Amino acid sequence: MPTMKVESIKKNILNKIGQPSSDLVAREVHTKEKYMEILYINTISDESIIHDKLLTPFFEIEDQQDFLTFLQSHPKILPFKDEQKAIEDLLKGVVIIFYQNFIFTFDSKANLAKVTSGTVVETTVQGPQSGFTESLHTNVGLVRERYPVPELTIESLSIGSISKTDVMLLYDSRFADPDTVKKMIDFLKTVHIQMFQSGEQLLDSITKHNRSFFPTMLVTERPDRSAVNLSTGKLIILVNGSPFAVIAPSVMKDFMSSMEDIYQTYWVGRFLQLLRFVGFNISVVLPGMYVALTAYNPEVFRVQLALSIAGSRTAVPYPAFVEVLLMLFMMELLTEASIRLPKAIGPTATTVGGLILGQAATEAGLVSNIMVIIVSFVAITNFVVPINTFSFTIRVLKYLIWALGTIFGLVGVVLGFLMINAYMVKLDSFGVPYLTLLQSKPKN
Amino acid sequence: MNRYFLYLVLINMFINAIIFVPSILIKYSFDGAVASVLLSIPYGVLMTFLYSKAITKYPEKGLPEILANTTKWMKILHIWFIQLAFFTAGLITLLGFLDIISRFVNPEEPRLILLVMYLAAIFLVIGMPTQRVMYFAEIVLFFSIPFLGFIIFKAFSSKDLSWDSIWEVTTHVFDWPSLKAFAASSYVFSGYINLIIFNRVIKGKLKIWNYVFVFIVGILNLFTTFLIPIGYHGADGAKEYLFPWISTADSLRLVYSPVERVIFLFIMLYMGVTLISVSVHWHVALELVKSTFNEKAKEKKKWLVLMAIAICSAIMVQQINTLQLNQLTEYWMILRLAVEPIYVLSFYFWAGRKIS
Amino acid sequence: MIFSRKRHWFILILSASLILNGCGYKDIDKRFFVLAIGIDPAKHSTKRYLVSLKMAITRASREKPTDTIIVSAEADSMGEAVRTIKTKVERELDFSHAKVIILVDKVAKSGGNSGIIYWFTRRRDIQEVAWVAIGKPSAVRILHIMPKSERLPTNSLLLALGEDGSETPYIIPVYLFELKKRLIERGLDPLLPIIEVEGKNLFQINSAGVGNKSKIKLILSQEETKMVNYMLNMESKSAQWVERGKVKYIIDTQKVKTDYKIITPKGKKPYILMKVSLKGRLEETSRRITNGELSKYEETAEKQLSNEMKAVLIKLQKANLDPLGFGLRYRARHLNKDDWEKWKKIYPTLDFKVKAKVQISDTGLIE
Repeated sequence: MPTMKVESIKKNILNKIGQPSSDLVAREVHTKEKYMEILYINTISDESIIHDKLLTPFFEIEDQQDFLTFLQSHPKILPFKDEQKAIEDLLKGVVIIFYQNFIFTFDSKANLAKVTSGTVVETTVQGPQSGFTESLHTNVGLVRERYPVPELTIESLSIGSISKTDVMLLYDSRFADPDTVKKMIDFLKTVHIQMFQSGEQLLDSITKHNRSFFPTMLVTERPDRSAVNLSTGKLIILVNGSPFAVIAPSVMKDFMSSMEDIYQTYWVGRFLQLLRFVGFNISVVLPGMYVALTAYNPEVFRVQLALSIAGSRTAVPYPAFVEVLLMLFMMELLTEASIRLPKAIGPTATTVGGLILGQAATEAGLVSNIMVIIVSFVAITNFVVPINTFSFTIRVLKYLIWALGTIFGLVGVVLGFLMINAYMVKLDSFGVPYLTLLQSKPKN
Repeated sequence: MNRYFLYLVLINMFINAIIFVPSILIKYSFDGAVASVLLSIPYGVLMTFLYSKAITKYPEKGLPEILANTTKWMKILHIWFIQLAFFTAGLITLLGFLDIISRFVNPEEPRLILLVMYLAAIFLVIGMPTQRVMYFAEIVLFFSIPFLGFIIFKAFSSKDLSWDSIWEVTTHVFDWPSLKAFAASSYVFSGYINLIIFNRVIKGKLKIWNYVFVFIVGILNLFTTFLIPIGYHGADGAKEYLFPWISTADSLRLVYSPVERVIFLFIMLYMGVTLISVSVHWHVALELVKSTFNEKAKEKKKWLVLMAIAICSAIMVQQINTLQLNQLTEYWMILRLAVEPIYVLSFYFWAGRKIS
Repeated sequence: MIFSRKRHWFILILSASLILNGCGYKDIDKRFFVLAIGIDPAKHSTKRYLVSLKMAITRASREKPTDTIIVSAEADSMGEAVRTIKTKVERELDFSHAKVIILVDKVAKSGGNSGIIYWFTRRRDIQEVAWVAIGKPSAVRILHIMPKSERLPTNSLLLALGEDGSETPYIIPVYLFELKKRLIERGLDPLLPIIEVEGKNLFQINSAGVGNKSKIKLILSQEETKMVNYMLNMESKSAQWVERGKVKYIIDTQKVKTDYKIITPKGKKPYILMKVSLKGRLEETSRRITNGELSKYEETAEKQLSNEMKAVLIKLQKANLDPLGFGLRYRARHLNKDDWEKWKKIYPTLDFKVKAKVQISDTGLIE
């Protein structure tokens, strides 16, 4: 029987890890002669190693003393040093073995890098390049690997009346707001979806609650983004079978930040962020502004500019607002098409559409030169936004401003822009105001 | 310094810098406007001081919460009267600015349509919780202040500004102050009165620096409002303009900017400032009205109030022309001047007695 | 709220405004941008004015993107003329880019033209920062000038009058609002640059007209214009001719600053003390001048500059004109209510004292 000391160490370790973490495995193994307890986290430990290197010998070596010798002599098994070290090791994929009066640690780290794939959607120039995989198990492991703290809490749920998909909710119990966690769990429990396949569906079902224009949850494929967000008190939802994690509460600032901001020097990062905010505003406002300015208030331009716009529009047979709509529509089709096409053909479609069609349309007098510039500008600025779900929102919003600009002129554009702002002010994501500009800091 | 408090003051100063105050002051520029302006500065700061001191004795509470335990008839009388004042304040601003837009930006669009657009935006804002209205105000000011500051700097530094004309007006400092000019120039300081509801977002006491800021910005603002148009259009000529500040903005030229004419930049910025100014007033009015309803009917009655606001402004926008509006505003300002000190002083003593 | 629970509100608003829509929307290519306005006296009828509008025709072609069209009409008032011109063109007239207003000197000289100026300032679409000038021999001729250097119509005029083009002390650009101010401000009289036709397709701006509240009364010569420009502190880059005995030399000025004071000593004749400081370097001389001798030449230049300036001041005073705003300065420095009446008596008897200070830094790159 283990002594009191060992027993108390075991209790302490369990207490420290004590959060309801569904991937923590504490198991007792018996044979007739021997008794052993092992403790590990199955998402970051390789269970086949444990089986081959630990359990098989355990059952094959009958004698108690012999097994102890085996443990002591095994190169990957080290004797216990202290509790703190044991917990750190545990969080890195080490098995803690309680055998008789001895405690050992057994290195069984899973090599997760082998199974991950590169990022596809949120690519960065620098920094980690690996993305989530389709296995929930591995994904939790990936987060664990980057966020090895005992306070990381993992709750397991299942969503979907038919699919019964496993879902895991991860958060750091030190930083996450308990109210938010409660709200999130309640929300997840009330979601009614038959077939739950991917985290993006949650986005949709939360939008149906609020009819919100803006996503209030962030979908990411990057484990590093998830880990960083955990440290700011956010919740991560991982869904089995989907290589995307959902981060909530997410506010505008999160949608506008790329992981690269952290990997760049301070001023470069700031500059890039400013660039994105400017791009966002231009993308939303520009089409409507063009209509309002050319059709209602050409006096805003300098005379030289007004004349060249008027010149380029002379051959165009329909009003400016139709022209804008036509070109925007064409651009949307192009964007849509190039997403759907296989990667090999994608660039061709863009070239054909963008260059040749634009050029031809201008020559034929269907649209003005300046319009082509504006539409390409809108398209480019749209994709400056790093998170896709958010840039889709912009794609829709610009039509609202376009409509207001067409009907009300300059007043419509300015007030429309302000209304979008007011709407964002009104919105919140699980209790966090949407326009919180400061990065939420870990709360103490 | 408490920035929310300063926003309230600033919004009121900004909006009054263009719509009614300059034309009233310039009208009386040889008949006591200078003296009125000088008198209004200590008066305005004093009123600001008294009222904010009194109401910040109830931290994070608006008037409805403060009055929650008093008798009901007094509460209703009190709140209904004040809310009407706030509603008309917002309405006058809105009508004045719609007039500017329909003259300078969209001359051919009926004002009713512009009103519809504005009401849509305003209703979106005033329905939000007080804290969020303040956030929104902060965002709009964040966008506008740098540009407005730049325009005002441009106006000051331009060589077209005739300092002699300005000095000529200031030599009339010893004329007996005029009541209308005093009413107009003291209205510039009235932003503090929005604390009636917005005290909900003010945490703790207001430090002395806030009042120093109000004092300094008030002087700068009145100077800009009153004397810059005179510098551009002459001591005798500025009176001829219906909207002196808008014409002044049109007299500025940004040589290197893609938008050469300052007036459009200026009006676009003011679209936002007007939106928050009216929203702040009407948010106060709406919250005060809401506090008189019982819990159950609140949501439904709120929509009734909004409908009433919409109908009322639509009628006003159709019926009242610029000159009538200017007349009306002058009387409204005098009435406000009569009521404001009574209200502020009585509240100050009431609050002082209550607390002790 | 509008987006969420009460979506029908939004739809209601949109549909309501769609029904009411149709006002104000006018595409940019359906407008004729009036770039310059010229006003001549009518020749062929009994009407008072011949109003000409210079409008830009825009084309999609890249070689010659814009062309101009000048349409004129005779009428008794601006409003009438514009309505007549509207019947002659197919697109809507847009005055929002009318940046140059040219009055012919006959119109400017005949009294009572201020009504026309008021037409411009009363309309919301004409910029306050349009330039006003006098055209010689006629406004239409000026409008017809199209120098080869300009790609856009009237651009050369805009550059000449604006700060972004040529910098010369002989042009005193006057904005519309400035002219209006000068028309009404007591103690500050109107001043307008004069544009003359030069050769076939060029213009020349080197003089200015000074008027009282109703008409132009005095035409300043080139050098007088420069002096006025100095006194208005408008442009520092210029050249000052000086003659010392047989030696003629030119100072390329880098900084010219003037400041004046109206001094009314008790019992004595009031006078204006005008201080001028001019800094520059020698640019051209008829004889070799060494750096050591410069102070002598400075002295001569000072004397000549103050004489020239005084002559201009006296000329203006004789005509009882005050484009420099001495009267306004007097009003601004005196608290009395009747200061304007007093000034009207003082001005004709006023003395001028000019103190010039010339600094010639060197003789340029070579001694």
